[in-house]
Amino acid sequence: MAKSGKGVTRRRWLQTLGAASATLAAGRFLGEARAAGQLPEVQQAAPEFTGPGPNPYWTSAGQFATYPQKAPLILLTDRPVQLETPRRYFLSTFTPNEAFFVRWHLQTIPNAVDLKSWRLRVEGNVERPLTLSFPELISRFKPASLAAVNQCSGNSRSRLQPRVAGGQWGNGAMGNAAWTGVKLRDILNAAGVKSGSVQVQFEGLDKGLGPKGFGSNRFMKSLDLTNPVIDECVVAYAMNDEPLPMLNGFPARLIVPGYFATYWLKSLSFIRVLDAPDDNFWMKAAYRIPDTPRGSTTPEEMKAGKVPTVPIARMPVRSFLVSPDGTNKIPAGFPLRLRGIAFSGYGTVKKVEVSTDRGAHWADARLEADAGEYSFRTWSLDWTPKTGGRYEVAVRATDAKGNVQPDDGVWNPGGYLWNKIERQEIVVGDAS
Amino acid sequence: MRARKYYIVAVAALAFLAATAVFADFRAGIYTQTGPETIHQTLAAPASTDATYDAGEYPIYYPELAAGDGKEDVENNCELCHSPRYITMQPVMPAQAWADEVNKMRKTYGAFIPDDTAQKIIEYLGTHYTPETRKR
Repeated sequence: MAKSGKGVTRRRWLQTLGAASATLAAGRFLGEARAAGQLPEVQQAAPEFTGPGPNPYWTSAGQFATYPQKAPLILLTDRPVQLETPRRYFLSTFTPNEAFFVRWHLQTIPNAVDLKSWRLRVEGNVERPLTLSFPELISRFKPASLAAVNQCSGNSRSRLQPRVAGGQWGNGAMGNAAWTGVKLRDILNAAGVKSGSVQVQFEGLDKGLGPKGFGSNRFMKSLDLTNPVIDECVVAYAMNDEPLPMLNGFPARLIVPGYFATYWLKSLSFIRVLDAPDDNFWMKAAYRIPDTPRGSTTPEEMKAGKVPTVPIARMPVRSFLVSPDGTNKIPAGFPLRLRGIAFSGYGTVKKVEVSTDRGAHWADARLEADAGEYSFRTWSLDWTPKTGGRYEVAVRATDAKGNVQPDDGVWNPGGYLWNKIERQEIVVGDAS
Repeated sequence: MRARKYYIVAVAALAFLAATAVFADFRAGIYTQTGPETIHQTLAAPASTDATYDAGEYPIYYPELAAGDGKEDVENNCELCHSPRYITMQPVMPAQAWADEVNKMRKTYGAFIPDDTAQKIIEYLGTHYTPETRKR
């Protein structure tokens, strides 16, 4: 009897123990934890967001898509092609070719180029028109290399309030590459610019289906011959020491250091010296910014029709936190390394400051190797959040001209020039 | 005595399991039925040794346009120069802003769209793509 009694006791004790641990487990795993949203059943696709508020995502709100010679990128449009670079690719100074953003204006873009027949034509108001083959471009001129950021004029357009029509980019319509090619000045000198010339115009292989004489038929951009940037321009046949991907302008594209990407003509095939200012649509009507401080205005002023405009030019200073990107919860006490990039079209980034307390205090980040005044400059800052909570990390950069990123946005009808201080929420959990 | 030994071992094992549950909470071995759509690795494009550099065709990702009167007019006119993603990508805009866009396509970009067709396109966009009416 004693034995069986003992057995019951044992059994009961074991049952109690088992039930207690099961309860504990259920409570911890299924009750509290899941209620806090910590363990989702499945990863949810980020829902599309079309406003009217600002796009809440770092990049645009679309799906991934695969294109020739490209890693999966974020799809904006498929004809013509516009693809955005995901955030993680900005951890390094140079953006890989396969991840570099894509933006074309006209639907008939090159799929294939035959270098036997491809020529870069230098024509117009010149002494000796040139017809340069790819081998001539490489061997006839002294190679020139530089690192330069290529950023779409409309990068971050989806942040504007009120929203404006156009490519709804998040922050990923930018990239930095080491470009190698021929100095534009060397090509112009070989052709001999005639006196009385005022601008040089660029055109690529892309064509549109719109009627002749309209911007929907041809895409052309011009730069003033008196603009000092002419001496910095490079006709690049190499991107990060590789041939350019077709979608980024194979076999050669124009590099205009410090300037927005609209001038960086892809699959460059014409360089024309003009004796009168270019009045084609893409200069006269498109890619223009209000001639106001920071290129900002209001819908009301635009409607009143009294806002003078100028062609868009240099890129204002910007900086970004790349990692952590807010997708993962960080344990309290974890020694984080905040990492990101900064750049400016007005010269080297001199300072990057970071705030982890909603702008109350700013600490100087470490600036890493300087790859050139028009390059991305990577920065980092060590930060250990001591306690759990929702933190906000803000980043602001200062360039060589003393320009500091402002804490307010801009508005203009093109959706250009966004460079407001970026903010990222970081969720820190308890670690004990 | 032997039974007692087994008993002690069993209790110790259970206590260990219970302790594991208490002191090292984690969930493991949970898989979902269906993952997100697979993105395939791609083969290198077949390349010849001549001077042709061919990236191949560019894929189309055709979006779903809202059903309704005027959808066909959009398909037959707007899509001549660009994909309808140029519509679905846009932020929601008031009907007047859509009318401005259509008129910009006609006047600024030279799209040949007759007045009555343009009016139908304007009504379609202003019906389905405003802050009040856009489905997603």
